[in-house]
Amino acid sequence: MKNAVLFLGQILILWLIYICSQYAVSLLHLPIPGSVLGMLLLYFALSKKIISLKLIEKGALFLTKHLTFLFLPFVIGLMSYGDLIKASGIQLLVMIVASTLIGMIATGAASQFLSKKEREVVKEHEHSDAV
Amino acid sequence: MNILTLFSLCLTVAVYIAARKFAEKFPSPFTIPLVTASAFIIIFFLLFDISYEEYGTTKSIITYMLGPATVALAVPMYMHREIIKEKFWNVLCGILIGTCTTIFAAVSLSKVLHLSETIQTASAVKAITTPVAIDTVKILNGDPTLAATFVVASGITGAITGSAILNFFRIHDPLARGLGMGTVSHGIGTSQALNEGSLHGAAASVAMSVAAIMTSILLPLVYRLFV
Repeated sequence: MKNAVLFLGQILILWLIYICSQYAVSLLHLPIPGSVLGMLLLYFALSKKIISLKLIEKGALFLTKHLTFLFLPFVIGLMSYGDLIKASGIQLLVMIVASTLIGMIATGAASQFLSKKEREVVKEHEHSDAV
Repeated sequence: MNILTLFSLCLTVAVYIAARKFAEKFPSPFTIPLVTASAFIIIFFLLFDISYEEYGTTKSIITYMLGPATVALAVPMYMHREIIKEKFWNVLCGILIGTCTTIFAAVSLSKVLHLSETIQTASAVKAITTPVAIDTVKILNGDPTLAATFVVASGITGAITGSAILNFFRIHDPLARGLGMGTVSHGIGTSQALNEGSLHGAAASVAMSVAAIMTSILLPLVYRLFV
């Protein structure tokens, strides 16, 4: 029972952060989603130890674990798009698959290139130290 | 609350739980709960002639918690903060380049293939995790269902082909592989990256949140330039 109350309390804290961020976004006319501002605020609050991880950990991990359930109703909306899929399903598939692969290769290649550069710089330093 | 709302709410919860159990037994990118559960519910609704409009109230009830759940994504990011601290520029540049490339590729392919403007808008957000994609596409006046579907399809594509494609292009660095999968395939890619190793998984999880933050801030500002 005590655990259940604590757990609901944790979710309530996350909800409060979300509501405040949502309010801040509409008040300041920020062009970003309230949820993203909330995510940033929570990350900084955790980093600066304003909120301890323990205070929200269980509730947060529960919500992220079942994130799928929360947007399931949007995917079900696909039932009204039968005509679109019939008409341009193949084109959609090409667009999605190709852009995903291109993006993945670009990310991986960029990061690997930077890691290599970094290692070379470190090596040069070691070398000059040895000399 | 009327009977149909109560019924469809219970149905969604029950199907979701069953789909999770099914995915545990037969783990594969094709059996992820989202795919099996939504397919089942769509077929059920079509068979019994229930329209998506009638599902509206249930949809509002369930999706109400999406906001707090998105806020909660800060927690996995915080747990892997060492990667962000140690490899700050690498992580930032990798994800920025990857995200921009995906958006550019998706929008220009949609144009070349003569897909409608609604689809172009939804395709622009396909490289971010679903809850943020839904929020961002609303800012761009796009369609949340299309956005969510494109994100999920991208996730599955990346999870299925990721390992092979990255091998083919000789991307073997664990950080680079994790970032690649997390940036374009979000949650689904992250669980696949975890199969490769814990550093892969952590990098993917960081990439998912960072890409979401970056895209949701940049996209509304630059979207008009793309289209």
